[in-house]
Amino acid sequence: MRTILVIDDERPTLQMFELYLGAYGYRVLTAASGEEGLAVFDAANPPIVLTDIKMPGMDGLAVLKAIKERRPETEVVVITGHGDTELALAALGLRATDFIDKPIRREALEAALKRADARLDMAETTVGRYGDVAIGREGDVGVIHIRASLVGETEPYLTRAYRELDDASKVLFQFNPSASINGAGLDLLLSLVESSLAAGRPAALCGLSDNFGRVLDRLGVTAKAPRFVEKEQALAHLAGR
Amino acid sequence: MAVVLFVSAVIALLARWILVTSLNRELEQRGVAIGQSIAERASGYILDKDRANLVSLAFDAAQLGERKVLVSYIFIQDNEGRVLANTFIRPFPGDLIKANSLPEGKEYSVRLVDFDDNQAIDIAVPIREGIYTLGAAHVGLSKNHIDSLVGTLRTTFLGFIAAVTVVMFLIVLRLSNAVARPLSKLTQAADAISRGSLDAPEAMLGLSDDAIRHCQAYANTDLPCWHFDQHRVEAEGAGLPMARTCRECRFYRKDGGGDEVAQLAESFSNMIWSIRLYRRRLRESEEKYRSLFDSNPDPVFVVDTADGCILDANSQAETVYGYARRELTGRFVGDLEPDAGSGGVAAYLNDREAPGRVLFPKLRHVRKDGSPLYVNLHACRIAYRGRDAVIISATDITELVEKDAQLIQASKMKTLGEMSAGIAHELNQPLNAIKMGSDYLHLLAESGQTPPPDALAAVTAQVSAQVDRAADIIGHLRDFGRKSEPMLENVDINTPIRGVFTIIGNELALQGIEVALHLADGLPPIQAHANRLEQVFFNLVVNARDAMSEEQCPKGMARPHRISIASRRVAAGVEISVADTGCGIADVSRHKIFEPFFTTKQAGRGMGLGLAITYGIVKDYGGNIEVESVPGQGSVFRLTFPAAALQAGQGA
Repeated sequence: MRTILVIDDERPTLQMFELYLGAYGYRVLTAASGEEGLAVFDAANPPIVLTDIKMPGMDGLAVLKAIKERRPETEVVVITGHGDTELALAALGLRATDFIDKPIRREALEAALKRADARLDMAETTVGRYGDVAIGREGDVGVIHIRASLVGETEPYLTRAYRELDDASKVLFQFNPSASINGAGLDLLLSLVESSLAAGRPAALCGLSDNFGRVLDRLGVTAKAPRFVEKEQALAHLAGR
Repeated sequence: MAVVLFVSAVIALLARWILVTSLNRELEQRGVAIGQSIAERASGYILDKDRANLVSLAFDAAQLGERKVLVSYIFIQDNEGRVLANTFIRPFPGDLIKANSLPEGKEYSVRLVDFDDNQAIDIAVPIREGIYTLGAAHVGLSKNHIDSLVGTLRTTFLGFIAAVTVVMFLIVLRLSNAVARPLSKLTQAADAISRGSLDAPEAMLGLSDDAIRHCQAYANTDLPCWHFDQHRVEAEGAGLPMARTCRECRFYRKDGGGDEVAQLAESFSNMIWSIRLYRRRLRESEEKYRSLFDSNPDPVFVVDTADGCILDANSQAETVYGYARRELTGRFVGDLEPDAGSGGVAAYLNDREAPGRVLFPKLRHVRKDGSPLYVNLHACRIAYRGRDAVIISATDITELVEKDAQLIQASKMKTLGEMSAGIAHELNQPLNAIKMGSDYLHLLAESGQTPPPDALAAVTAQVSAQVDRAADIIGHLRDFGRKSEPMLENVDINTPIRGVFTIIGNELALQGIEVALHLADGLPPIQAHANRLEQVFFNLVVNARDAMSEEQCPKGMARPHRISIASRRVAAGVEISVADTGCGIADVSRHKIFEPFFTTKQAGRGMGLGLAITYGIVKDYGGNIEVESVPGQGSVFRLTFPAAALQAGQGA
């Protein structure tokens, strides 16, 4: 099993994390501050890091930045206060791969861990993960399938795929359930959706986790391109347009 | 009048006595003269023993002219007492011989004698020849004649006196008409004035009402009367504006004519005018103050200093306190302020050292029905109807106090809003731990596993501890948000200071602000509300935090971000300092910092009420707040509060 580093200034929370993640079979490392967390990270090099954002001294965002500088492929999941989407966006802007709300719901934590594991699994097996964008067609709908995470580096591949579907009258952005979108990826998605609408081509999203869905809601992307869980629902919606 | 009559009578009697006496003496002298002339001529006849001539001499003398009426008899005696000659046509009455014997060497002797049922004044004159006495000539003056003479004289005199008296009486009557009547009129007028009537004397003295209509100074009490206010001008010099006075008074008269009585009457009527003017002014002034008393929008009481009883109260006092005036008068003033203790009016009455004017801010009074009201009391010592009294004006500030409380409450709610992020964070921590602990147990339960004993113990202990922690935070928030009771409580100043950091301590730490608390133990309690004080410290801490934020200090120099709070005991009570290492306050701002709606924060970031409310709260508890600041170095807010026992009414 993988090793997880948990950074939180709350000792009781750390204690619970240790038991809880241990029960899932992870090897758990804990740190009560950002500085300590970074030291543990340097020593153990864990693939997954869970960090609280609000901490005295070095806060979660600083830890995130430092870790991403050291090893960009680390899965850093930030823990934000409930409903604090701004902070989540800030973390995503700093290339956090996911976020969960505090108090931590079991399902959310499990899902986040599952997605992180899936992304790690994919990264270990797939080469050129940023470029893993496929295109397909469902009638007049052009489907852009983003199989890995949507990040800044995905841009050339995504724009190319988008141009290749120039003749399609509708666009569906299909994500893997484990896909992560960081700040740059969100901007990219927003600009593509906007240009699609500007060209008179309705757009829709499917397959994203609820977590990112919320962020997209916040940014106003889903108002332009409705989000669906299943591909079929999205296609049905687009067919009606 | 009686005196005049008595004096007249005395004078008349005296005059009569003088007249009668002199008449008697005159007649006696005439008798003596007759006797002497007889004696002179008789001496020769006696020596000659010529009795016939003696008799003829006696008769001649007795019958001469008017004498025959006056002289009743004449007889001549020799030395042996023998009657040599007499004028009696009857036998000579023997009584006369010895009746008036002439002593040796005397010129004459006068004696009243009786003879033959008649009375006569016998005058004996010696008959001398050389050095020898030959005998005596007796002339008897008729007593009846004398009496009738005297009677005539008396009648005449009395008639005259009576006439004089009548004339005198008439003169006196005229005089009394001329002098006494005006005087008695004046007397009556003076009596009427002393009984308080001014119109009656005017009628009595025939004064006209014209002056009232025409006198400017009478109608307008602001105008000085040149006559009445003259002494004032003299006393106060040229300071009094004399621009508008009458050149000549239509009322004030000084003709200088007439007699003394007329002048007196004139002065008297001028005096009445002055009194009238003065009374009117006094009455107007009294009415003015009475109307000020009655129409005062605040309840006003007059309280006897000696026994603390209310002597008088205005109608507003009835309205506000719900008592009728007759219930208020005589009531002990302490009944209105049941929980004033040593800070109320009742205590002020007994405190001889207290200043003459005192303000008691925000006293809690009760109405008749027991409902409370808040008043600002102004007490002022006065003399009232000859007694030492205190006049109390009670401004009803209940609404103000309620509004204050509402404002403070609103400000607390706003503070709660500002704290919400911190509160959410603080509550999230224990909730998170609990959630994870229970999820862990749930996970094991789902998969049919039994948690290891030490893990179970750790989770259950942690859940319990975290629930307590959350409950503490919620309890604290409830206390903070609770509306304060009107009554003050004894507060350890350290409690609200710590309270602030239970809520926002972590948030400050998250913002990289170091908090240093130096709280002294065993501080005396102060009279206050703990949650309002927490509001005070919250405002100060939040201001300190903002003062250290980047946007407030654009230079953003690398200095430690630290808030230091220290409490310590001082002579008067406790002192708390809240210091920050922020950018400080410019001098210009520092003077306005406690004013409402003054803010240096960006528009939309602050109402500018925080420190104003803070100031109000601190002042409410008799405390003081000051600020020292060095721009660029930081600020120190210094708060002092009196210790609980020292709290009392403040002099103003």
